[in-house]
Amino acid sequence: MKKKILSSLMCMTLAASSLIGCGNAASTETPAQTDTPAAETTTEETKAEDTKTADTASDTASGDKVTLSIYTQYADDDTKVPYDYAVEQLKEAYPNVELNLIVQAQDDGQTLKTLAATGQLPDIYQASTDIINTFRESNQIMVLNDVAKSTGFLDKLYDANKDLAYAEDGNIYAFPFSGQEYVLWYYNKALFKDNGLEVPQTYDDLLKCIETFKAKDITPLALFGQEGWNTAAAYDVIATRYAAGGIKALDEGSAKVSDEGYVKAAKKLEELVAAGLFQNDATTTNYDQASEKFLSGQAAMFINGQWYIEDATKALGDDVDWMFYPAEDAASYEAGKSAFSGGGSASGFAVNPDSANAALAAEVAEFITEKYCEAKVMYRHNPLVAIDTGKEPDSEYPAMMKKLSDTLPSITSTTKFTWGLTNSTFNDAIQSESQGLVSGQFTADEFVQDIEDTMD
Amino acid sequence: MKKYMGNKLAILLFVLPALAIFITFDFVPIIQVFAYSFTDWNGLTTPNFTGLKNYIDLFTDRVFATSNRNQIIFAIVITVYQMLFATIFAITISDKKMKGRKFLRVAYFIPVILSVTVVCQLWSAILSGEGLLNKIFEVAGSDFKQNWLGDRYKAIYVIAFVNAWQWMGYQFALIVAGIKSIPSDYYEAARIDGCSNVKAHMKITIPLLAETYKFCLIISLTGGIKAFTEMNILTGGGPNKSTFTLTYMMYNAAFKKSDYGYGLAAASVMVLECMLVMLVINFIFRDKDQKKEEEKARRKRNA
Repeated sequence: MKKKILSSLMCMTLAASSLIGCGNAASTETPAQTDTPAAETTTEETKAEDTKTADTASDTASGDKVTLSIYTQYADDDTKVPYDYAVEQLKEAYPNVELNLIVQAQDDGQTLKTLAATGQLPDIYQASTDIINTFRESNQIMVLNDVAKSTGFLDKLYDANKDLAYAEDGNIYAFPFSGQEYVLWYYNKALFKDNGLEVPQTYDDLLKCIETFKAKDITPLALFGQEGWNTAAAYDVIATRYAAGGIKALDEGSAKVSDEGYVKAAKKLEELVAAGLFQNDATTTNYDQASEKFLSGQAAMFINGQWYIEDATKALGDDVDWMFYPAEDAASYEAGKSAFSGGGSASGFAVNPDSANAALAAEVAEFITEKYCEAKVMYRHNPLVAIDTGKEPDSEYPAMMKKLSDTLPSITSTTKFTWGLTNSTFNDAIQSESQGLVSGQFTADEFVQDIEDTMD
Repeated sequence: MKKYMGNKLAILLFVLPALAIFITFDFVPIIQVFAYSFTDWNGLTTPNFTGLKNYIDLFTDRVFATSNRNQIIFAIVITVYQMLFATIFAITISDKKMKGRKFLRVAYFIPVILSVTVVCQLWSAILSGEGLLNKIFEVAGSDFKQNWLGDRYKAIYVIAFVNAWQWMGYQFALIVAGIKSIPSDYYEAARIDGCSNVKAHMKITIPLLAETYKFCLIISLTGGIKAFTEMNILTGGGPNKSTFTLTYMMYNAAFKKSDYGYGLAAASVMVLECMLVMLVINFIFRDKDQKKEEEKARRKRNA
């Protein structure tokens, strides 16, 4: 009998401790709420957006501290400098607002999507085209049309970037800070000169360069093929010589990969790979390794965006430049000078509509976007931003940027970077299939067939 | 103990917490995985029922065949490597006359306690184009330089080797524990009968470790089927998805294409494959007594 009582007591103790445990979990949530302003904690969770606007306005007016979480890139100078500058400026313009930085993971939006699925989206987040398209279906991204108008953001946008602000449905979901961006084909001038080579204009010239560099044990072009966008860009710079729409036209469905131009481009890339354009382990090389090869003179050429100009100039000085993409013959080379790979996208700072401070977050997102653009112009010497900042760089633009600025007026067509592609199936296919082509182990026919099968 | 075992309420009370956790965190999610695999769910919005579409797409996807081939290769490589070397090393260090057995016991187990990321970075440095392995060939005057991780067909073997290298120590520990549980009388009796060391291990150690081997086989084969981390770090699934597995297909569909429905169809097939492997292993390692009982039951039925 005693044993029965004892075992019953033990069971009850176990059950009671489990319940107490549950009770504690609930109570631990209370202190977290103290982080939010007092005005916020007294309001109902399911308040309407209008009420939120009024609340947040009164918060800032009453001087209560508001902490906004922001999910953005903070990895290198190109992302750290603008963020730090924006935070400094925010302190002056919005003294009551504090930013809580959550560093963006390079995980294809996995973290952000998980946060969205669990209802924990940050107040402000950097959204790519894929994220915008996914979140607008689930109403987890705020429509910013009114804020863009009231803050004058739309008026500040450069004409060439007007389209970047709008998503496919005609709404503004993010404030873009990057303008039209371009894939540049960098080359080491000193290496070309030392080896008696001219900048290649045609693929025959390029093949000669490959042969010469390989004979000297220099990698002709260092590719960081571990990142699918870089291999897609390598295909796109060739595809645009045959079909100006490049991968953008494939993404939009206005062209097919089996069209003559795209097949020719795939075959040309196959030929160049077989000749040894890229290093053998290109598909397992990351950005740091490839960049190191180029900047240390072990590689003669490099494909990257125009944002690399600053770093390349710092390391190589006058020995580095970018070239117009080589083409089939001299005539196509000249004609292709106005068609660039790359382009802008609707990505930028977006706002969580379910944020307790949604209206304020939208204003702050617009403010940060402006400051990002200013910092990029002033400290990163990059005038290719979304809006007219009216700022000047703190020192002269690098020669390569000047050359690009001079070329801009003559550019008549651009394509897209992979993060600007809207069809996620095509995006996945072009990244992996171009990687296969670059590896030299998949044929151009396989490339065309596989993409066609995937798109069907 | 008998009292408790006879008390159904006590059994229920003791089983309930574990059962509740299993149902909540294992059984229900698995059912959800199967349910969502018949929808077009993107992870955020309300899913729409699409019937067998995801499964038809999956079975006609060229990467599906590649993934299954890779899983089989991966499972075979790690099973053979781990069980073979773990057995040899365990038997070797079980010999009390052997010098340095304590050091070796720790050395074999060290990779297990390392993070997978650390191990992969280590091997990535060794196997890269300009890595240690190719340098060794170069210094030796051989032109056998290989693109170890970038080869469409060979990379999966290299990745499997990295996994096998790391986890061999785990199976080694299990087998050592199994050997220790075998009474030394058996070996003494065998020695008196003039049995050699090798024969004693073949006739005593290995047969008596059947249960341990069964467990080792299950973790190796299911580990092969659900492999992901190593290929994600070492090759990113490339070149062109040639080192994909079903887990990678699931990850790619869900997180890169926001196509959770398709990803979960891949996950469902993977769960079924794991279950099938376990059933086959359990069938192969059926208890002899159980076999006899089955035989008796069959005879009774026939009579």
